[in-house]
Amino acid sequence: MTTEPDPTTINDQELVARTQGGDPTAFDALVVRYSPRLYGLIYHMTSNHEDTNDLLQDVFAKAYRSICNFRGKSSFYTWMHSIAVNMTINFLKKRNRRQHPSLNDPDSNIENDPDFIAATSNSDPTKEVSAHELQKKLNAAMQKLSHEHRAVVTMFDIQGIPHAEIAGIQGISEGTVRSRLFYAHRQLQNYLHEFKKP
Amino acid sequence: MPHDPMSTEPMHRLIRLKRYEKPPEGYYEDFLREFHQRQRAELLKPSLSALIMERISGLMNEIRVPMAAYAGVTALAVVAGIAIMRQNPNPAGSPAVFAASYSQNPVTIGKMQPVSLRVDVPGQNNSPTRFLPPSFLLQARPASHESPLSF
Repeated sequence: MTTEPDPTTINDQELVARTQGGDPTAFDALVVRYSPRLYGLIYHMTSNHEDTNDLLQDVFAKAYRSICNFRGKSSFYTWMHSIAVNMTINFLKKRNRRQHPSLNDPDSNIENDPDFIAATSNSDPTKEVSAHELQKKLNAAMQKLSHEHRAVVTMFDIQGIPHAEIAGIQGISEGTVRSRLFYAHRQLQNYLHEFKKP
Repeated sequence: MPHDPMSTEPMHRLIRLKRYEKPPEGYYEDFLREFHQRQRAELLKPSLSALIMERISGLMNEIRVPMAAYAGVTALAVVAGIAIMRQNPNPAGSPAVFAASYSQNPVTIGKMQPVSLRVDVPGQNNSPTRFLPPSFLLQARPASHESPLSF
């Protein structure tokens, strides 16, 4: 007796092939696999949970509609991230200055993070910065970056995606990724100078 | 270790703290459910191409009557033209033939007759007008005397 393998253990390529062959459960497995990463990508670019939810739905809907055109020239991971980044940048261009931050609460584990402790500890305990305050300041600083710089900072600093993969996702050279990162960090330093360097 | 003022590592570590911002518990399960609902809703919604086809067919239904009217008027005109042609069988009288003959024999300056002037002097010949005072007769009317509106 043969049993169907658990879709969560199947690689992307196989799941894509199954989806292209008309198996919708294979795409569900891809949604489950990619939604946390893409949620983070979109959320840190928009700073708005509701917008992120809508955009993420649209991203997966678009991916599902166009998956038959996916020929595997890049990895599915790169392809999905490209769709998410492009759709988010287009959304942000339309949204323009109409920004209503809707932030998720930071995980309580942040308070044990050495970088957080180093950044927020102050010689004067009355001036200590809470996790929420730090969150607000970080988001405000991120929103001052251009959409393209914010995308690179989100992928590299927050999501830990290597330069080469960011270059593939955005269709730019690695050198451009590095220079965008350098410029964005310089800007962020100006906005966040009040925090101690971890 | 000395701190490098150009290093972006401290900023990288500070920004990295944003990874602790996470959606509410159970969000991803709800997300998949919502995705399925949206997919089903999209299936019920007609596609753009179907909408366009529907509009076009509706438009065709609306303009079917005027199109039939135009076709009727054209057919009547053709029948009337044929009837007129049969009543007047002389092909030369038809505008097409007249136009052809006109174009085949164009009026050119070379074919125009020059204006001649004859002077009758009394006593020079035996013409019946020899006892009359000299007269000048124009054999043809000069072009300058023609009315510009004469046809």
